[in-house]
Amino acid sequence: MALPNKILPGFSASMYAQPSASPTPLTLSQLSTVGSVSAIAVSGNLMNIEAIPAFGQDDAVASFAVAGARQSDKIPTQSAPTSMTITAAWNPSDTVTLLLRADAYSGTVDRTFVIAATDGSNIVYYAFNGRVSQFQIDAQPGAEAKCTFTIHPRGNLYGWSNNA
Amino acid sequence: MATQQNPVQYSKAIQYQLASIVTPVPVYASFNRNFATQPKFITWMLRNVHQPVYTGANQANKGIDRPTFQISVFTQVIEDGFTISNQILQSLHGYAGLFGGATDGFQISKADVHWLYNSYDNEQKLAQVFMDCTLDIPT
Repeated sequence: MALPNKILPGFSASMYAQPSASPTPLTLSQLSTVGSVSAIAVSGNLMNIEAIPAFGQDDAVASFAVAGARQSDKIPTQSAPTSMTITAAWNPSDTVTLLLRADAYSGTVDRTFVIAATDGSNIVYYAFNGRVSQFQIDAQPGAEAKCTFTIHPRGNLYGWSNNA
Repeated sequence: MATQQNPVQYSKAIQYQLASIVTPVPVYASFNRNFATQPKFITWMLRNVHQPVYTGANQANKGIDRPTFQISVFTQVIEDGFTISNQILQSLHGYAGLFGGATDGFQISKADVHWLYNSYDNEQKLAQVFMDCTLDIPT
């Protein structure tokens, strides 16, 4: 399994949402399985977004300080996947955007999202399960209308994989 | 680590890619000596080849390259120039993938075409359309 072995520009990443109104999100092991993940990363599931914000894991530490000791200590603990606030150009008829709007309306739909980055031949995938909230339309007159939403990942449900 | 890329490779790829888009219109690097006898042709010029150099003593610690090449479309009929410029826009703008053919080509992450302006040269009797194309080359 080959990973892209190049420095990539940011826009070489693309983001996909699992289809259907009530999807069955991937299991933890499937999130790291390229066959399951790449099936979601197809053009029909492409999210029409402006940019992919920082993704990965949040910081999480426990701090301890003992009275009389000179230094405290930061003890790394298991960290949660990062929430992503995403901006998309707003096309009210866009199928994937409508799906996410319905997710936000429901508030309880778990869906698998996939981020793929490629150097042209090799692809690396980051897949996670999350829920959509804070779906807002920003229609200020100076620019094209935008739709902004936040995806909150479910704890521990993410994985990395790459194509052959 | 990313090493310095070779501008010779860029020029071969640009020549190939442009020629394949506008064929059978001839494509030249920089200048066309036969301009008086050819009703349509294209020239291109490469500039701004630059990879950022990151910290460290290693000369190979570099980032992605974003060179730009200018495309100049010359035609005796103004509409022909606009038509050719549209061919280039449709084919190149936003393109990602193999650039420059199987032999001398390489993968690009994006080709970004900026249609600059059109003009007319009364001495050469040629209409002109100028475009800039910026390539993002992962390295």
